[in-house]
Amino acid sequence: MDYEHLLNERVEVVTIYRTSVDVSQICYPAKMKYRGQVIDFTELGLRHPTSKGTRMIHVFDMSDGVNDYRLEFDAEGLTWTLAAIREGHHVRD
Amino acid sequence: MYEINCEQPQIMHIDLNSAFATTEQQAQPSLRGRPIGVTNRISKHCCVIAASYEAKALGIKVGMRFDEAKAICADFIMLETDPPKYHYVYQKLAAIMKDYSPNIQMKSIDEGIIDFHGTLGTIHKRPLRDIGMEIKQRMRYEVGKWMKVNIGIGPNRFLAKQAASLHKPDGLDVIDHTNLINIYKSLKLTDLTGIASYYEARLNAANIFTPLEFLRASPDTLRRFVFHSVIGDDWHQRLRGYEVDHMPTHLGNVGRQYVLDKPSADDNFLLPRFHYLCETTGKKLRYNNVDARGMLVWVHFQTGDNWAQRKMFKSTFYTNQEVYRRALYLLNQRPKHMIIQSFGLTCYMLMPSTRSQMSLLDSTNREEWLTEAMDEINERYGTFMIHTASTLEGKKIIKQKIPFGGTRYFELLLKRA
Repeated sequence: MDYEHLLNERVEVVTIYRTSVDVSQICYPAKMKYRGQVIDFTELGLRHPTSKGTRMIHVFDMSDGVNDYRLEFDAEGLTWTLAAIREGHHVRD
Repeated sequence: MYEINCEQPQIMHIDLNSAFATTEQQAQPSLRGRPIGVTNRISKHCCVIAASYEAKALGIKVGMRFDEAKAICADFIMLETDPPKYHYVYQKLAAIMKDYSPNIQMKSIDEGIIDFHGTLGTIHKRPLRDIGMEIKQRMRYEVGKWMKVNIGIGPNRFLAKQAASLHKPDGLDVIDHTNLINIYKSLKLTDLTGIASYYEARLNAANIFTPLEFLRASPDTLRRFVFHSVIGDDWHQRLRGYEVDHMPTHLGNVGRQYVLDKPSADDNFLLPRFHYLCETTGKKLRYNNVDARGMLVWVHFQTGDNWAQRKMFKSTFYTNQEVYRRALYLLNQRPKHMIIQSFGLTCYMLMPSTRSQMSLLDSTNREEWLTEAMDEINERYGTFMIHTASTLEGKKIIKQKIPFGGTRYFELLLKRA
């Protein structure tokens, strides 16, 4: 089975900023605290910008090696929101 | 013998493989290697608008319904479209392409063309095959490692696209005068871009059964016996590698259509949806900065019958109110007892906007100012943040489709996403 849980919950995030990589990898969340549990991200799937009205939102599709997480960073309010989790059973590379 | 274009290939066609599905797999690693599809709105009978290569390998095709795909593979996963994600990949692809030539053309949201004419010796001094490999690497590096790109190189757009389709996924092929005959020998007629079953039947009727026979056919045969127009001459040139497809396109009409979530003859059910289609059509008119004079409303009934009504109005129109008023006037002429399956409207006879010109009629001015004010608010706070009350239900139900054919409305769509 494959489940996607829509959450829209504020979360705490540790973010890494780098200089010597391509612009798509220049900033990404390294770990997240969700309901008391720390989740370490192992891969940045895709980072893309979108907007809600005139507010710029950066969407980070992250993976911890098993599950996928859709994190949204509100560039105006400076908040991180966990929008959705997709449960996965395995990851192929 | 065949008068093939011997020019060095200067056209590169770039095609993202299963673009939406691959982008979703890039974003969500747990989906990689699995059969997935993308649709506009998930329902039992929704259809696959993009399928991953894993799904295609199982026989799941674009256009297949969700329940049919599930019957083939119980693990098939359907996702709803995410336009901002695809727009990001589209922008990255376009930016990479612009690094190699000022003359690029995006054919749709997942494919584009780089024309290298005039750049040899200035911008690029390497073989195009090397540049193609570099573009593939850059897509993996700048977007993600799951991204795969087909690249074809040829002397014209047709052969470049044909080359890009030879080895999917992730192919890179060149077609030029040295290998053109051998490539045609290995293909069927329907493998050629632009030749589907209808044209194949026409060609067969003229005793043309293979691409090589197609190449051998005289322009006179193609014009008089196959295509019955100058299209035959175009095909004669196209197959030989001469450019006939570099044509500017003009906006001819704008419109919307919708397959109803529940077939109905009830105006209370139909009109909110129809009004919503009218408002989005009005927005498209204003987005393109054109006014319309003609209006066509069509209806497809549950019985399989069709009905359409068109009218050329004396004055031009572009406001939401005017579009709805004129479309409703036409829609009300339909046979009202019949149950509607789908309907749509098209505005035609488009002309450059005259909306800066004030009207002598105050009521007209007020409508125009209201439309402008609504557009400004929606521009700032998000599309359809403010809208006519009667479109409320339509707005909830109708979802904007991803524009496959072109990128003209992509920016508009993103504001709505």
